[in-house]
Amino acid sequence: MGEVALKRGVFVLAVLLIAVIIAAVCLGAAHVSWRDALSGDATARAVLVRIRLSRVVVAALIGATLAVAGVTFQTLLRNPLADPFILGVSGGAACGAAVVTAFGLARVPGLVPVVAFAGACGATAAVFLVARRRGRTDTTRLLLSGLILNALFSAIILIAFALAPASDMASALRWMMGSLSGASWSDAILLGTMFVIATATLVFISNDLRMLAFGEDDARAHGVNVERVKLIGFGAASIVTGAAVAASGIIGFVGLLVPHLVRLIWRRDYRYLLPLCALAGPALLVASDTVARVAIAPVELPVGAITALLGVPFFLSLLRSSR
Amino acid sequence: MLRVENVSYAYGVAPPTRRRMHPDADAAESAAPHRGVNDVSLHVGDGGALIALAGPNGSGKSTLLKLIARVIAPQRGEVVLDDRNDWTAKEYARRVGYLPQETEDVFAMRAIDVVVSGRAPYLSRFAFESEEDYAEAEKALALCDASYLGARFLDEMSGGERKRVFLARVLAGAPRLILLDEPFAALDVAHVQQFSRLLRDIVDRTNSTVVFASHDLNWAAAYSDRMLVMRDGRIARDATPGEVMRTEVVRELFGFDARTIDGWLVPNLQR
Repeated sequence: MGEVALKRGVFVLAVLLIAVIIAAVCLGAAHVSWRDALSGDATARAVLVRIRLSRVVVAALIGATLAVAGVTFQTLLRNPLADPFILGVSGGAACGAAVVTAFGLARVPGLVPVVAFAGACGATAAVFLVARRRGRTDTTRLLLSGLILNALFSAIILIAFALAPASDMASALRWMMGSLSGASWSDAILLGTMFVIATATLVFISNDLRMLAFGEDDARAHGVNVERVKLIGFGAASIVTGAAVAASGIIGFVGLLVPHLVRLIWRRDYRYLLPLCALAGPALLVASDTVARVAIAPVELPVGAITALLGVPFFLSLLRSSR
Repeated sequence: MLRVENVSYAYGVAPPTRRRMHPDADAAESAAPHRGVNDVSLHVGDGGALIALAGPNGSGKSTLLKLIARVIAPQRGEVVLDDRNDWTAKEYARRVGYLPQETEDVFAMRAIDVVVSGRAPYLSRFAFESEEDYAEAEKALALCDASYLGARFLDEMSGGERKRVFLARVLAGAPRLILLDEPFAALDVAHVQQFSRLLRDIVDRTNSTVVFASHDLNWAAAYSDRMLVMRDGRIARDATPGEVMRTEVVRELFGFDARTIDGWLVPNLQR
C-alpha cells in the first residue's frame, strides 16, 4: 500500500518538474525560440543550450541537492528546523570558497569544491559539538549555533574580499546571496556526479537512517549501527551542500522549505521523503530562478533573495507552531 | 533464555584532564549515589512471565534494560541470549524488543506506519515493508486494542493511545523478550489498569516474557509474577511480589517508613 502512494507521488512531482523546466527554458529576457535553434540559428542555439538550459540544469541539481541535504539533516537531528543554510553548513562552504577566491586561487581546478566541502564539514562538526547534549539536539542551541556560525562566516567572507582587489567585491556578494548567473555545463557535470554519488549513498543507508527519527536508543534497539549511519549521513549531506555552494553561493531555505512542503502531502518516513524531495527541490528552485530572471528583466534578481522571500514567512510560522 | 552475568556499567567517567580542571567534580562524583549498574546477574527462563523491575529513581533500572536491549554495551560482564552472545544486531533485535521511557516522534506519521517500522530488523537493505509486514502490524495493533488508531496520526492522539501504538510497534517485531521502561508513567489510574491487563494478555497469548521497569512499587507488585528490586545499581531482591511487599522488607530495601496492607504499600502518615 505504501509503494503505490510513493509511485503516484513520484509521478506527480516528475510531471511538475518537467513542466517547470520546459517553462524555464522558454522564458527569458532574450526572445528566442526552439524552432529557431533547431532550424540552425546559431545565436538562438547558443542562448538556449549554452546559457539557458545549462542554467536550468544547474538550478535543478542545486535544488535537488539542497532538498536532499535538508531532509537528511532534519531526520538525523530529529529537528524540523534543520537545513544546510540555517545550520551554517552552506555558510561554511561559502566561506571556504570565498577565501580561495580572494587569494586568486579560484581557477585551480577542483580547489573551490574541495575547500567548500571542507567548510561544510567543519560547520557540520561545529553544530554537532555545540547543539548536541546527551544525544539530542536542542532546537534553541541548534538555531543559536547556526546563527553564530553564519555571522562568523559572513565576517570571514567580507574580510577575505576586503583584502582582495576591489573588482572581486561583486563576487563576495554572489557567495553570500546566491546566484545562478554564472552556471555552466561543467558545473552541471560536477554537481550531477556529486548528487548521484551522495544520493545513492543515502539510499543505501535509508532503511537504517529513517529509524533515527524515533531516537537513537530506539534505532539501536532495532539493530541499527547508529554511529555509522550518522557519520555516513552527515558526510553525504555535507559533501553535496559543499558542491552546491561552490557552484552557486548560498541559496537559503530550499532545504527547509521542500521537505516540509512534501511532508504536508506525504507524511511518511525518510525513505519516501528522499525521492520526493529530490524531485520537488529542483521544481522549486528552477521556478524561483526563473522568477529571478524574468520578474524585472533585463535586471536579474539574486535567486537567494527569492527563496528567502518564500522561506522566511514559512520558517517563522514553523517556529511558532513547533513545540 | 536470558542470562545477565556480572554486568557493570557506569555513566560519565570523566576524562582525567577535565577532573583536574574541576577539582570539586571529583568530590561531587564520589559523594553522589552510584549511577548505572554494578555487577548485576540475573536469569530469565523460557515461557511467558511478567517481571517487574522495581526500585527508586536512579537505582539503575533503565540502565539494566538498555544493557539487556543492547542499546548500550556493558563495561564488564556479558548478556547472553539462548546461550549465545554473538548475535548480529538485527538477529538480536528480532528476539528482544525494547520500548524506551520516552518515545520520539517529531515527524508524526500514521500509527500503522509507525507500528510497521517495528519490522525493521526483518527488512533487507533496500526492501520496503511487504503486505505480510503490514498484516503483522495490524495484528499487533489489535492485540493492543488499538486497531481503530491505525489510520490516525500520532500528533492527534492522547498519551495513552500513543503508548499503545508504540507497544504495538514493539510487538510487531514478534520478540520473545519485551523490555518496557516505565510503561505506566504518564498514564492515569484507569489507563494503568487497562495497560497492565494488556501486558498480561500479551504474555498469555504470545508466550513472550515482559520485563517492565516501574518506580511505583505498588504497580510493580500488582501486575507481576516476579519482582526484581534494584537499589544503588544492584539487584537487592529477586522474589515474588508477595515476598517483597512486606513491611519489614520494604523498610529494609527502600529505607523509608511505610506499612503494607494486604500487599499494598501505604505511606505511614503517623508522626
